[in-house]
Amino acid sequence: MTDGTASRVAPIRGPRPARAAPSRPGTLYLLCWFCGSVLLAFLVIPLIALAAHQSAQNLGEVAGMADVRAAIALSLEGAFLSATLAALAGVPLAYVLARTTFPGKGVIAALIDLPLAVPHTVAGIALLMVFGRQGVFGEPLQALVGLKFWGTLAGIVVAMLFVSAPYTVNAARIGFEAVDPRLEQIARTLGLGPWRTFLRITLPLVWHSIMTGVTLTYARSISEFGAVVILVYYPMTAPVKIYELFLSFGLEQAAAAALLLLIVSLGLFVLLRALAQRGVPAPGGR
Amino acid sequence: MSVAAAVAVEALSLTLGAFRLNKLDFKLGRGEILVILGPNGAGKSVTLETIAGFHRPDSGRVLLGGRDVTALPPEQRRVGFVVQNFGLFPHLNVVQNVAIARRAGRAAIAHDAGLPQHGDPEALLSYFGIAHLAHRAPAGLSAGEKQRVALARALASAPDLFLFDEPFSALDAETRDQLREELKSFLHALAIPAIFVTHDHDDAVALADTIVVLRDGAIVQSGAAAAIFGKPANSFVARFVGVENILPGQVVAQSDGCFTLAVGERTLRAISSPNVGSSGASVLLAIRAEDVALSSAHVAAEPPGAVNRLQGHVIGSRTIGPLVMVQIDCGFALKAYLLAPQWQAMKLGQDATVVAEIAPDAIHLMTE
Repeated sequence: MTDGTASRVAPIRGPRPARAAPSRPGTLYLLCWFCGSVLLAFLVIPLIALAAHQSAQNLGEVAGMADVRAAIALSLEGAFLSATLAALAGVPLAYVLARTTFPGKGVIAALIDLPLAVPHTVAGIALLMVFGRQGVFGEPLQALVGLKFWGTLAGIVVAMLFVSAPYTVNAARIGFEAVDPRLEQIARTLGLGPWRTFLRITLPLVWHSIMTGVTLTYARSISEFGAVVILVYYPMTAPVKIYELFLSFGLEQAAAAALLLLIVSLGLFVLLRALAQRGVPAPGGR
Repeated sequence: MSVAAAVAVEALSLTLGAFRLNKLDFKLGRGEILVILGPNGAGKSVTLETIAGFHRPDSGRVLLGGRDVTALPPEQRRVGFVVQNFGLFPHLNVVQNVAIARRAGRAAIAHDAGLPQHGDPEALLSYFGIAHLAHRAPAGLSAGEKQRVALARALASAPDLFLFDEPFSALDAETRDQLREELKSFLHALAIPAIFVTHDHDDAVALADTIVVLRDGAIVQSGAAAAIFGKPANSFVARFVGVENILPGQVVAQSDGCFTLAVGERTLRAISSPNVGSSGASVLLAIRAEDVALSSAHVAAEPPGAVNRLQGHVIGSRTIGPLVMVQIDCGFALKAYLLAPQWQAMKLGQDATVVAEIAPDAIHLMTE
């Protein structure tokens, strides 16, 4: 094309040899699968052991116990309420954290994570001081509106929310940060006000992140023991009931109740994951 | 009051942290394309965002189609905004992207460009030749298809002004060329004024009727595209509009716009309208590489009365599309464009002796 003096820019990549050396990524994936399998086994084997240990008769017997059923229902109800509250308050907080800068933002972000680092018995004691009989909120709230946090569902929800809300806030914040602010600007120029823009553009784009966070909050709420047992011993949630069965009747009944909780939870998570997928169009789909 | 201008930005100032927009002033007529040219950080995007209503200016006004929109929120301004990669809503399909503007309660304009009335999204898609993509997700579209969807969507909100914020900056050169041409013909057909922000002077060459050169939040030079390209106000603008040769020199003599200049050891003559000072003044010479004519030394017999003939030797060459940029040393470095076949026919290698010739009116003089 040109003579020798012309320094022509060479093509960056030569033509790729057909089916070049697939062995390299193959080894990589094999290794990843191996490491992953060890972890998977570690996670699954105890659950299988739990299930294998049970006879159907044992399981049926526990499922027939009204107090066990009530405890599981209470756990699900409390977790549902705490996940709902986490979404209602945590999503706006996440939006503010993702979209604005202000002094002390880093401190707030660290505070949000704090409940994850505090031992949950400690969280329970701290909550007792705030929501207990003589607590800063506990006392006036009972005096003014008759809302009690000891021995009630309200107390269970407070304990669950404290330890599990960070999951929703963090997941939603990451989701909001991933939404290009330019899309929101375009929506505004197209005539959508700030609210419509949030509901029609931003929220659908972070829906998946929010639902992931809410699912984690829900899961964490169901599993919470320490904070709940200190703030509210009665009525018993499933983890507290399982602990009580273990103390009074031994491993057999406790394990059967545990498996029952596990089965119910698993079904719910599958449902929640399916819900999180909604509203997200398949890439390149029609 | 400017009756003729479809869009006017008057003395617009804005402080945003440490950044300032300083009294921006420009106007656009109906169907005119204004290109704001400037490096990163010059304030181009902030200017667009202020016109769109995302920043409240400290002072100044924005007038769209005779309305003072300075106090209005973006959703009431009626501007069409097109950004890098076109910013289609990924969770909506093509027709939903266009229909979202209509649902905001607007009726689209029916210009004399054969546009559909009442902002019917399907009809808008047909106008842009993309009706068949109506139910596709944005992720699977080509850049050209995305541009058409973005235009249809912007148009659905009946804009008085289009704003483009470097929509092509992530595209390869070939696609960029193609989309520029397409955009230009759409904008001309629609006759809606447009402000196009870019740091790429090729965008400006292809699209601009008027150019505003921005630097550190202030206008360095503004005017008709030809004037900015031909007569840059200073070396910053010259570099930005792609002038390849900017040479320091000194005025030796001057009379009636005819200058005799000393550049290194050489003497050049220039015809230049701006008054850049009399004898002894330091100046900068702006010379476009396409205005430097190269010939091989042995065929270049000295014609009588020839001016600005410089003998030098080749120090390098680079192929740029169909052109070859040849760099020569004639006491100072000079770049010249040749068509590739011409350059090959000259059969010149490194260090070959050549003669460069520059017409006196192709030398533009600047003071800074």
